[in-house]
Amino acid sequence: MIVNKPTVIIYTRDPDEDLLREICAGIEEEGVLYEVHSGKGDMDTLAYEAAKDSMLGSGIGMEGRRIAMQMARLPKGKNVFELNDPRFWQCRNLGSNSARAVKKMPFKPIYTENGEMSL
Amino acid sequence: MKLIAGVDIGNSTTEVCIGSVGEDGSFHFLSSASRITTGTKGTLPNVHGIKAALMEAMDRIRQPLEALDLVRLNEAAPVIGDTAMETITETIITESSMIGHNPSTPAGAGEAEGYLIHLENIWKGKPGVPYIAVAANKFSYEEVAARLNQHIPELDIRGLILQADEAVLVENRLNRQIPIIDEVRHIERVPEEKLAAIEVALPGTGIRMLSNPYGIATLLGLDAEETKAVTPIAKSLIGKRSAVVIRTPNGNIRENVLPAGEINFHGTQEIRVNIDTGADTIMDSLQKAGEIRDIDGQQDTNVGNMLNRIKKSMTDVAAEADHEARITDILAVDTMAPVEISGSLAGETCMEKAVGIAAMVKTKHLPMQKIAERLEQELHIKAVVAGVEAVMAALGSLTTPGTRLPLAILDMGGGSTDAAVLEADGGVRTTHQAGAGELVTMLIQTELGLGSRTTAEQIKKYPMGKVESLFHMRLENGSMQFFEESIDPRYYGHVVLLAPGEMLKVEEDIPMEKILEVRREAKRKVFVRNAIRALEKVAPDHDLRKIPNVVLVGGSAEDFEIPEMLTEALAEYRIVCGRGNIRGTEGPRNAVATGLLMSYLSSR
Repeated sequence: MIVNKPTVIIYTRDPDEDLLREICAGIEEEGVLYEVHSGKGDMDTLAYEAAKDSMLGSGIGMEGRRIAMQMARLPKGKNVFELNDPRFWQCRNLGSNSARAVKKMPFKPIYTENGEMSL
Repeated sequence: MKLIAGVDIGNSTTEVCIGSVGEDGSFHFLSSASRITTGTKGTLPNVHGIKAALMEAMDRIRQPLEALDLVRLNEAAPVIGDTAMETITETIITESSMIGHNPSTPAGAGEAEGYLIHLENIWKGKPGVPYIAVAANKFSYEEVAARLNQHIPELDIRGLILQADEAVLVENRLNRQIPIIDEVRHIERVPEEKLAAIEVALPGTGIRMLSNPYGIATLLGLDAEETKAVTPIAKSLIGKRSAVVIRTPNGNIRENVLPAGEINFHGTQEIRVNIDTGADTIMDSLQKAGEIRDIDGQQDTNVGNMLNRIKKSMTDVAAEADHEARITDILAVDTMAPVEISGSLAGETCMEKAVGIAAMVKTKHLPMQKIAERLEQELHIKAVVAGVEAVMAALGSLTTPGTRLPLAILDMGGGSTDAAVLEADGGVRTTHQAGAGELVTMLIQTELGLGSRTTAEQIKKYPMGKVESLFHMRLENGSMQFFEESIDPRYYGHVVLLAPGEMLKVEEDIPMEKILEVRREAKRKVFVRNAIRALEKVAPDHDLRKIPNVVLVGGSAEDFEIPEMLTEALAEYRIVCGRGNIRGTEGPRNAVATGLLMSYLSSR
């Protein structure tokens, strides 16, 4: 797919719409544009392709209630963040982080509300 | 042939040096080692660290510890340093009336004034009255936007204050362009029905109206007297990206000047100086007072308590050596400290004036003889206390290539800065000055508002960089460093300190430029000032120009930028000054231990 707008790209397969809405809100609050397309393959592939196709080098893959954030030039499967059946605030922060990756700002915590992020 | 060890017990490290002396007087340095000093310098627990260091050094030349014939200890300088910080102004808000902070994503731009109204009461609003809406995080961004859109046709809504981080989300759904501030933690403390002014800065700039007393007066319609009262608010809002100022009839925001008190110098002359006159005046008065016997502060004032506290902690350390601790030197530096304003709505801080003071307490002789005796018992090797620390350091420093007599050394440690001049005829003058590495650490910690002293210590010690992508970082000198493997995302966007072998993350969100400025300024304030002060004391006729070369030794001489700062500053006086290189191999370490061996030769 050829993309020429500066956006964070989200590739989805059967996404949970509520979680997706939170992710988009997180990106929007950071003032970055995004686009959502449905794609093929597993979560790792969706995220990897999204980051690769994004002009900003930041993408998200979503399969049902599983979500991965990926950045361009990172190997497939080595996702920056992964969430499985997350809560709303985690999705919001994951969305923020995909935008913050573009803005070169420190990431928001995503796994525990105030503790360290662990990978 | 005899094997001899020189041992230097410092405040933070214990250094040893081993050499062999032939029957004909020929002499060779063989090995050296360094260990962390165990216990307070000059006390018996030091023995543990000495033994470990000796063992390490002997191991390097494949000899057992028993092969040693003599251990020579330094006569440690009986000075202990401590530091303290006291703010001399404070800002107090008695009725919540100000929000000024830096949310990462406020929305809209410009300023507005209006009466505060909570979103749940918006239906009570009257047409024709300007309003600023306030929404707690129980409302989603969609709800906030929907409710406001519903009322925008008939109500004059000019601004919005949000608790959640959703300013951009609400703005994108709103039918009218208004400034929006978000991330206001204590939204429940925002009073209703009061007149308030709100401002969001244009991207890349700070606010302009609310950081200006006349700007606040314009928006809130204040008279001259009220304008004077809001000046501290304006001051504390300088540089913010967004702000709210609320007009409360009895709202009381004031800048208090704390009773800072006076310092009394008991010297050749008795001199008192008020601490809020600033560091320069304090240091001038110190010099005027001549030979200092003791220094104390006015009772029940900040500085009085501060000096008492220093004395008390020193007395604890030096309890057995000296019953009464006397402060014989201080170094005062002006600084700013971010202090949280009591009564603020979003945890705002205000830069308050402060004075940092390093004080030095002279005790009687430290019980070095006891350490020597204990060492002799445990190792069955003869141990003697030989030579005054500063003299030994000067002797050892002479082994730096390119030096000659008369030679001055500056020993910059953690607690004190010591200087000595070794004349061509063997005469020596020494001095100890308060203020060194620990004061720098404290200045960095307070000026950057860091939670932990360890972080401040690390900022002092290591250069830094900012992780700009998962594959590269920009270093503080502007150059880029690239990585083959991606950097851990935890470091992404953060300032990191480049310690040997690892990266340390600075948790606080402070720009790299700011950290750099504070770090350099703190080092300059303490070390350049102290170097000149100390050298003037020991220089022939107190004239710096009569010292041809200065060798820097001690822990702080290993710093990556302090020696260069001093080289620059002293070049003004035509002094050759640089980091020592003991025996041409050791760098600025090991000067005292080396000097102890050299003095053995001359004493034979």
